Amino acid sequence: MEERLYDLIFIARPATAEEDVKKVLTVIEHTCTEKGGKVEKAETWGTRKLAYKVAKHREGMYYYQQIRTSHPDLIAELERRLRVQDTVIKYQTVRLDEDLKRQKKLVDKRDKRTARRPRRATAPPAAAAPQAAPAAPEHNVPAS
Amino acid sequence: MAEEQKQATAPSAPPRRDGGGGHGGGHSGGGHSGGSHSGGSHGGLRREGGGPGGAGGPGGPRRGKRQYFRKKKVCKFCVEKMDFIDYKRADILSQFVQERGKILPRRMTGVCSRHQRWLGVAIKRARNIALLPFAGSAAGTQQPRAVVAPAAGAPAGGSAGTHAAPAAATPAPAAAAPTEVSNA
Repeated sequence: MEERLYDLIFIARPATAEEDVKKVLTVIEHTCTEKGGKVEKAETWGTRKLAYKVAKHREGMYYYQQIRTSHPDLIAELERRLRVQDTVIKYQTVRLDEDLKRQKKLVDKRDKRTARRPRRATAPPAAAAPQAAPAAPEHNVPAS
Repeated sequence: MAEEQKQATAPSAPPRRDGGGGHGGGHSGGGHSGGSHSGGSHGGLRREGGGPGGAGGPGGPRRGKRQYFRKKKVCKFCVEKMDFIDYKRADILSQFVQERGKILPRRMTGVCSRHQRWLGVAIKRARNIALLPFAGSAAGTQQPRAVVAPAAGAPAGGSAGTHAAPAAATPAPAAAAPTEVSNA
């Protein structure tokens, strides 16, 4: 089965002791290794203001991780374990690989098109020049 | 009774119009609409509200000319060649969201349809993880609500004041409004 890439963000209560957060992080890492996944990226965004109240808190500590795995059950397991944690007030996992795939496709398409364009380039400049000429005076008028 | 009175006013209006100063024209028009909509008092009121705004009539063609120059909107994401809108970048997403958290329509932002679709998904993801608000800002939702109620009441009172001239129409809505309030 092909590998999938997931985003995992969780919000810890503000002013949580670092040890408790580390505990959560180790739990995540542990479950990942158990189920044959890998934490590819781990970031801490620090304490941020929440857009709305979560568990009566206006602020939260954001932790971001990117997880690559070929076992979808890993995500279910991770979510289950995060739900149990008291320090975690909110979490979200998002599947990213499909979006990235689409992005790659579009980028490839554009690259191809730009590679092809030089051949056609002889015609467009002629068409573009007259358009550019009237446009230029218009811009000058407001300026003067 | 009210209907009879209206019918009485309606026939009286046309002669005025025929004899007509431009001055009387606006008033007679108001009377007409009120008579025709005798069934729905509210509808009649609204129509009459439009009548005094007859000044808007000459304003119409002026608007139609569209003398102002509208800048052509270009999709921001297309310009920057973004093929993926990241839900984590709340700073970008917040540009396409109203103050209260609503997603702005394409006609306001100029975003192309494809990017608007992605944008919607990204905004919803960001909302889920408290990067963007679902509704209202983080600064308390109760205050704005308190403001809304008087604001809703004020226009109603103002409109009643403006329509003091057509005698038959105003008493009924005026009586209806307080009852509604008391019921609510």
